[in-house]
Amino acid sequence: MITLHNVSKQFEQFKAIDSVSLSINQGEIYGIIGASGAGKSTLLRLINLLEVPDEGEVEVNGKVLTSLKSKPLNQARQSIAMIFQSYNLLGNKTVYDNVVVPLELSGIPRKDRQDRVMESLQFVGLESFKGQYPAQLSGGQKQRVAIARALANQPDVLLCDEPTSSLDPNTSAEILSVLMNINERLGVTIVIVSHEMDVIKSVCQRVTVMEDGKAHETVTIDPTGIQTIDHSAEGYVTRLMKDGGRGV
Amino acid sequence: MFDTIAQYEAEIWQAIGETFIMVGFSILAAVLVGLPVGTFLYLCRKGEVLENKVAYQSLNLLVNTIRSFPFLLLVVFMIPFTRFIVGTGFGTAAATVPMVVIAIAHYSRLAEQSLLDIPKGVMEAAVSMGASVKNIIFKFLYVEARSGLVVGLTTSTISFISYSTIMGVVGGGGIGDFAIRYGYQQYRTDLMLYMIVIILIIVQIIQYAGIALARKIDKR
Repeated sequence: MITLHNVSKQFEQFKAIDSVSLSINQGEIYGIIGASGAGKSTLLRLINLLEVPDEGEVEVNGKVLTSLKSKPLNQARQSIAMIFQSYNLLGNKTVYDNVVVPLELSGIPRKDRQDRVMESLQFVGLESFKGQYPAQLSGGQKQRVAIARALANQPDVLLCDEPTSSLDPNTSAEILSVLMNINERLGVTIVIVSHEMDVIKSVCQRVTVMEDGKAHETVTIDPTGIQTIDHSAEGYVTRLMKDGGRGV
Repeated sequence: MFDTIAQYEAEIWQAIGETFIMVGFSILAAVLVGLPVGTFLYLCRKGEVLENKVAYQSLNLLVNTIRSFPFLLLVVFMIPFTRFIVGTGFGTAAATVPMVVIAIAHYSRLAEQSLLDIPKGVMEAAVSMGASVKNIIFKFLYVEARSGLVVGLTTSTISFISYSTIMGVVGGGGIGDFAIRYGYQQYRTDLMLYMIVIILIIVQIIQYAGIALARKIDKR
C-alpha cells in the first residue's frame, strides 16, 4: 500500500531522514515510534509529500508520488487523509463546514455532500455538534472533528501525527478506539506516529523504531487493545495505594 | 459656529466629496490589487506553496520603496506618470493616482502580516488535503485571516484619509485642502478646527465599525 524506497531528507545541515525504506501493507495499523528528533514525524510527512524527499521514491496505492506533477499529486493526496496533534481545524468554520472542505476540494457534487458529512460526523459521534465552532469544543472533540474531516473523502490511508499527544489518557483511549474502528469497519490503512509506547502497543500490528533519522528496527507485535483507566476518585485512591500505600 | 459652517456649506460638502472619492478609490485598489499582492508575497515566502526567492525579494523591495517615500514627494515625483494615466497632473482624478499607488503598497503589507498570523498547521492541513493554490487562498487563508484582513483595511483606510489631506498640492481638494486654504492661508483658525473635527468623526466611525465587524466575524 505504502512503499518508501531509500528516502532521505535534509534540513539545512541536519539529516532528518537518512535513507529509510519501509513498506506498509493494505489494511494494517502501522506504528512509528522513537525519541524526539528521531525523525518519525518527518518520515510520516514524507508519505504524502508534505515534506518532499531529497532522494528516494514514495509510492502510495500504486502511484509513485515523487514523480507526479502538482495536479495529479493533489488528486492522490485526496485519498491519503491526515490528522495532527494540533488538530488544524479552521477556527472560522463550523464543524459541518470543516468536514465539507475536502468534499469541495475533490469536486463531490453539492447534493451528495450533506450525506457524506453527516455520515462522517456520525462515525465519530458528533452529528449534534455540526453547527458549533472548534473553539467551543474540547480537545478530544476537536480531534474527532479532524477525524471526520479525514474520513469524508473515503480515504485509503490515514496518517496520524501524534494524534493523542495533547489529550488526557481517557480521551486518548477514545480517539484510539475510533481509529481502530476506522481500520476494522472501513478497511483504511493507518499509520500512527507517537512517542507514547502505550499508544503504539495498544493498536499497532507492526512498528518501526526510529533513531537519528534511520529505521532502527521493524517489529511485529500483537496489539494489546485499548486500556481505559479508572478515573473515578476511588480509582485514583486504589492506584495511589497500590505500591506501598501507608493508609488513608 | 453653525453660522460659519452654513456660510461655507457648499464648499465643505464638496471637500468631503473629494475626500470620499480619493479614499474610496484607494480602498478599492487596496482590496482589488493590494490584497492579491499581499497574498502573493505571503505565498512566495520560504516554505510556502509558491516559494520563490526572486519574486518575493523584488516585490518586497518595490513595496518597501513606495512605502518609504515621503508621501508628498511621491505625489510630486509621480506627476509625469499621473499625466500619462489620466491625461492631467491636476485635480481630484489626478490626485487619485498616487493615492491608489500608496494604497496598494500599504495594504499589501498589512494583508501579508495578517496571513502570517495563521497557524502553520492550517496550511499543512490544506496541503495534505490536496488543495490547489486557488483553494488554499479562498478556502483556507482568507477564511482564517478574515478578521485580521478587516482590521488591516481599517488601519489602511485611516491612513488613506491622512494621506488625502495633502492632495491640495496637485489640486486634489478634499477636507485637508479646505482646512489649509481657508484655515491656514486665510487665518480662519476656526474653520481649520471644524475640519479637524469632521476628520476626527469620520476616523472614529471607521475605526469603530472596522473593529466591530472584525470581532463579529472572528469565531476562533
